[in-house]
Amino acid sequence: MLSRDGWGGLAVAAASLLLFGLTLGLKDNPMVPIGPGFYPRIVLGLTAALGITLLVLDLLRSRRRRLSGDAKSSASVQPDHLAVAIHFGVFGLYVVALPYLGFRIATVLYVAAANALLEPPRGLKGWARVAALALLTTIAAYVVFERYLLVLLPRGRWTGF
Amino acid sequence: MFELLGAGLADVAQAKYLVPLVLGTLAGIVGGALPGVTITMTIIVVLPFTFGLDPLQGLSAMTGVYVGGSAGGLVTAVLLGIPGTPSAIATTFDGHPMARNGEPGRAVWTGVWASVFGGLLGGVFLIGTTGPLARIALEFGPWEFFSLFVLALSMVAGLVEASILKGLLAGALGLVVTVLGNDPVMGRERLTLGISWLEGGIPFLPVLIGVFAFSQIMGEIERPRGAAARDAALRVSKLAVNQLRVIWEILSRPFLLLWSSLIGVLIGVLPAIGGSAASVMAYDQAKKFSRHPERFGKGAPEGIVASEASNNANVGGSLVTIMAFGIPGDAVTAVMLGALTIHGIQSGPLFISQNPQLAYGMFAAYLIAHLVMVVILAFGVRWMVRATTVPRSALYPVVLVLCVVGAYALGNSVATVYVLLVFGVLGYLMVKFGFPLAPFILGVILGDQIEINLIRALMTDSDLWLFLTRPISGGLLAASVLSFAAAIWQHRRMQNRARAAEGDTDF
Repeated sequence: MLSRDGWGGLAVAAASLLLFGLTLGLKDNPMVPIGPGFYPRIVLGLTAALGITLLVLDLLRSRRRRLSGDAKSSASVQPDHLAVAIHFGVFGLYVVALPYLGFRIATVLYVAAANALLEPPRGLKGWARVAALALLTTIAAYVVFERYLLVLLPRGRWTGF
Repeated sequence: MFELLGAGLADVAQAKYLVPLVLGTLAGIVGGALPGVTITMTIIVVLPFTFGLDPLQGLSAMTGVYVGGSAGGLVTAVLLGIPGTPSAIATTFDGHPMARNGEPGRAVWTGVWASVFGGLLGGVFLIGTTGPLARIALEFGPWEFFSLFVLALSMVAGLVEASILKGLLAGALGLVVTVLGNDPVMGRERLTLGISWLEGGIPFLPVLIGVFAFSQIMGEIERPRGAAARDAALRVSKLAVNQLRVIWEILSRPFLLLWSSLIGVLIGVLPAIGGSAASVMAYDQAKKFSRHPERFGKGAPEGIVASEASNNANVGGSLVTIMAFGIPGDAVTAVMLGALTIHGIQSGPLFISQNPQLAYGMFAAYLIAHLVMVVILAFGVRWMVRATTVPRSALYPVVLVLCVVGAYALGNSVATVYVLLVFGVLGYLMVKFGFPLAPFILGVILGDQIEINLIRALMTDSDLWLFLTRPISGGLLAASVLSFAAAIWQHRRMQNRARAAEGDTDF
């Protein structure tokens, strides 16, 4: 059974070999003796070799563990991976929504959602806190960056705002 | 040199530069004081604010963040027993016990003044060595630069404590990021995988912001509620102390101050090791050299002096490598390197000769930031402690919005925000799978330069032996092999010790 190291090594080796294969299709320039695929092949070859080494070492370790009958003790505190997945999901939606809704609307929605997820609001006061944070963050970011630092923040294709 | 430094000091003393410096230092102190918010995250947040400023204003603000952040961590380390930044961990060992023993003011101010003296000694090193080192680097050809970058990368990969193999792999993955998109020599498209926003290559700042901000914030979010519960804050009513007595307490230990600062500077020069290693190492040395090692851990001022002097001197060391060689000493200087690039300034050996006003302005900002830090802390220590009560639920969304603005503003394109998200996920996964981030980031930063110098060297002369037979290049590659061998030896020694310890208890 592979551990995280083994899976990590396998993923890296597979991705590197795939990219290495793609470099073989890169055409050399007749004017330059060294083509655009020369360096990537070195780097991807190295990465694939290191990934395979990590995988093999992990397989050997797990074999040793099996032979000696060792079992890994479970961690005392389990990380909340679901919360992380949800936050990545919310942030992903924010990034995808940016060009469609525009910075201002997307940011208000994102900050409100993220704040409410991290500290679920209780009662009207809680929701007022969520709304205030979302509005203040968006207004402050908009005023400082767009008005004073001249960064033109994204406008929404759907909203024009 | 002194004339240029004087001019730099006069420049930075103007309100135009002093205001960003003061605000940057304040942001650094507050960011440093907040547990869970590192200096890297603070500088990432400050970065977009510098886009509209001129280069010296922006770099003054960032230097302020760096200096302020290195000292800010000590406030919570001493008063709450929670290091605000990893570099303040060793300060907790004696600072908090001293505060608990009824001397919180002495503990805080010993740390502040040790930071100032350590930082100023780091400044002397920075100003004195950057120019000569840059002049040496000017003699380098592509062979030497290639070998120098390989040395930097192998050192960082080898210094990773958990697994050298994973350190190497992380560095190699960083190099892979730079081969996607385009060929830096001829500008030809390659390995875009059909993704349009990969065509111009992957800019390193969104990668850096994504990797560091997400790995840290998501790492905090995944902790179950209550795990991060804090101790009750100490009463901070007795922070007033006789400053001269505190200063004398530090200056009466000149060897300790100098040795700790030297450790800080040298660790700062080595890429990507960071202030935490410097402060712990200096603390360990202070204890070993002390006549009363038994006092350490119970409120010994020597422990605070060693930790704080070394972590602020570390800043000076880190700035040397970026200014002389264009190699970032840590994540904070990597962001500063990015800020220079945004302003069209190339860091490296030519930086100081082509931009003397900017370089000496940075030196001046570094020196003045220490004085600004003292003034801010003199008035604001109480507020720093209150700032730590800002709820994470409010802080993290705001930080991520600023990351988005920072990434977007780099190219006025949503594509860089996609890069931020993709590398945010990758950074989090790397941490979960035990891959260190420092070699990865260094690989991303140095990848293009490694390729350019390798190709230039081979196009000048296809003889590969030149990498070994040219004395500096050969020396650098030999140092790279040696550092790697030393890392393996140290790793094996640690593993054997761990096995022996397991054997002792396994009966």
